[in-house]
Amino acid sequence: MTDTIGNLILAVPSKGRLMEDTSALFARGGMTFRKTGNERGYRGEIAGFPGVEIAFVSASEIAQSLKSGKVHLGVTGEDLIRETIADADAHVDLLAPLGFGHADVIVAVPDFWIDVETTADLEEAAVLYRHHHGARLRVATKYTNLTRRFFAGHRYGKTQRAPVAVTMYRIVESHGATEGAPAAGTAELIVDITSTGSTLKANGLRILSDGVILKSEATLIASKSAVWSTAQKATQADIVQRLRAVFAKV
Amino acid sequence: MSAPDKPGASLAAKVTELEASARWIEALDRQSTIIMAIFARAGFEPIAPAVIQPADVFLDVIGEDLRARTYVFTDPEGAELCLRPDLTIPACRLYLARHGQDGAPARFAYNGVVFRYQPSGGSPARPREFRQAGIESFAAADPAKAEAEILALSVESVRAAGLRSFRVHVGDLGLFNALISGIDMPERWQARLRHYFWQPEAFREQLQRLVNGALAGRHLPPALVAAIAGGDEAKVISAIEQHLDEKGMVISGTRTLEEIAAHLTGLAHDRKIKPLAARAAELIESYLRIEAPAEAVPQHIKKLLKGSGIDLTPALSAYEERLKLASQEGIDISQAAFSAGFGRAFEYYTGFVFEILSPVVGDATPIGGGGRYDTLVKAISGSRSVPAVGAAIHTERLLLAVRGGRP
Repeated sequence: MTDTIGNLILAVPSKGRLMEDTSALFARGGMTFRKTGNERGYRGEIAGFPGVEIAFVSASEIAQSLKSGKVHLGVTGEDLIRETIADADAHVDLLAPLGFGHADVIVAVPDFWIDVETTADLEEAAVLYRHHHGARLRVATKYTNLTRRFFAGHRYGKTQRAPVAVTMYRIVESHGATEGAPAAGTAELIVDITSTGSTLKANGLRILSDGVILKSEATLIASKSAVWSTAQKATQADIVQRLRAVFAKV
Repeated sequence: MSAPDKPGASLAAKVTELEASARWIEALDRQSTIIMAIFARAGFEPIAPAVIQPADVFLDVIGEDLRARTYVFTDPEGAELCLRPDLTIPACRLYLARHGQDGAPARFAYNGVVFRYQPSGGSPARPREFRQAGIESFAAADPAKAEAEILALSVESVRAAGLRSFRVHVGDLGLFNALISGIDMPERWQARLRHYFWQPEAFREQLQRLVNGALAGRHLPPALVAAIAGGDEAKVISAIEQHLDEKGMVISGTRTLEEIAAHLTGLAHDRKIKPLAARAAELIESYLRIEAPAEAVPQHIKKLLKGSGIDLTPALSAYEERLKLASQEGIDISQAAFSAGFGRAFEYYTGFVFEILSPVVGDATPIGGGGRYDTLVKAISGSRSVPAVGAAIHTERLLLAVRGGRP
């Protein structure tokens, strides 16, 4: 994605609900997306708003493109940013939450584990499990980095006191139907996203009382690694202002 | 968005870099020849374990934190492998392959490349691939002698490589373990404190919980709480079953009702018995704060324990014996710096630990280090417990320090 004519490049999810919500929000700010060239293509522009080129990219790729500086701005979930970029705050600026795509990344255990309510309980149970079974508790997740950092004691946002780390576990990578892993016997607990909690409930799972790793939503994000011209900076400010105006109206 | 290439200039820079790196490798080779000769003379057999190792063993022993600092990958058949992050675990695996049955003593030496993830590709003092020269001694008849020998050979190696200015830092988890065993509290609490030793903040919190008797209050119905407090296992299990029934909760997976009952019963027991004496907690905290010259440590500890009724004689004798043997080996560590909290960063050590520090590369990046790891072989094999002690030199850092910090 070379930038030959000085356009600001904005990465937008290429399909699904996230793409629809993004394009609806921008349209409300007077920024209607229009595909350029082929209707099935992956390039676009904003009608009547020169200086912006849209790249339609898969949501998971947007984080990588922001990290490497291939794009200036992007819309994606904070969960994917934190999962994909180890030191996210050094590589990107989270400019504005966009009010859709809400999902919490959480730690959930089988409901019948009545002895486990907190992460501290989980570590105790894990030590006992290791003693009984000679193995570590298995955690099914696609968020391997978020899981590892959370269990190592890292917390996003402020916490009351130093968290107890969880050490006696193993990650089992799971891409899809993660909440079924404990019942299927491929893991003992899970780290996954949830919006309403009903899928967890249906699978006999419960969120630990201190088990919310991240409250995520779709966010407008700026790359710190991309090369920014003064004109591109001004375009970014313009976009942010138009989006703020949308929220001010609500 | 890289700068346009200037072919002439970049080629010249490339050639200079290649020459420098060839000379660097030659210097490392000369250095390792000297070190390996010292190890061989002492009777350590050279080994060369595979660079690519099964990730499973490392993940089981070290935990998922490993993934943050190791190159873990999946091969075309789907097997999870890693580029070895150290040579101690591969040496243990080799020991088990040869002596898993007889448990005979064995002494290995190695010099080989290891890999650690470093952000942005690393730096001269923290390269992402480097060579470790090390020794491991399994099932030695005399533990204190084996420890003194490993330390002496490590110090002799860095001296022979030309390092003039360095300090030795020592610790002893054996003293900590003995102190915890000597304090009046349930074995379960002792196990918990040992488990959290590696997490200083969580350790302090656990200690406070034991003193305050404030073990988590739970959201359970009174009848169930009463049954748990009764402590009769069969009754606890049937009370839990009834509770799950009422709530419509289903038991599934590998974790059993018996484990849940045992965990809850243990917690209930914690709440009934008298909390840990505040004085005992203070004693533990005071011990962990000890920083003193190695030879002054026994005096410090005896003073600390005066009137407490706690007897650390065996652990202290082992400590003093080790100091004496090291000085007989020609290494005077009486002035080495001892910290009681040292060893908290390396989860598999169980007793004596040490590191060699150079002012040139700084205390955060030791030239070498090692210690006793009596539970590692069992953690890998699942069966045989084999006492072991070892050490490794970070040869790139050693060369960097010998050259005054210039790579």
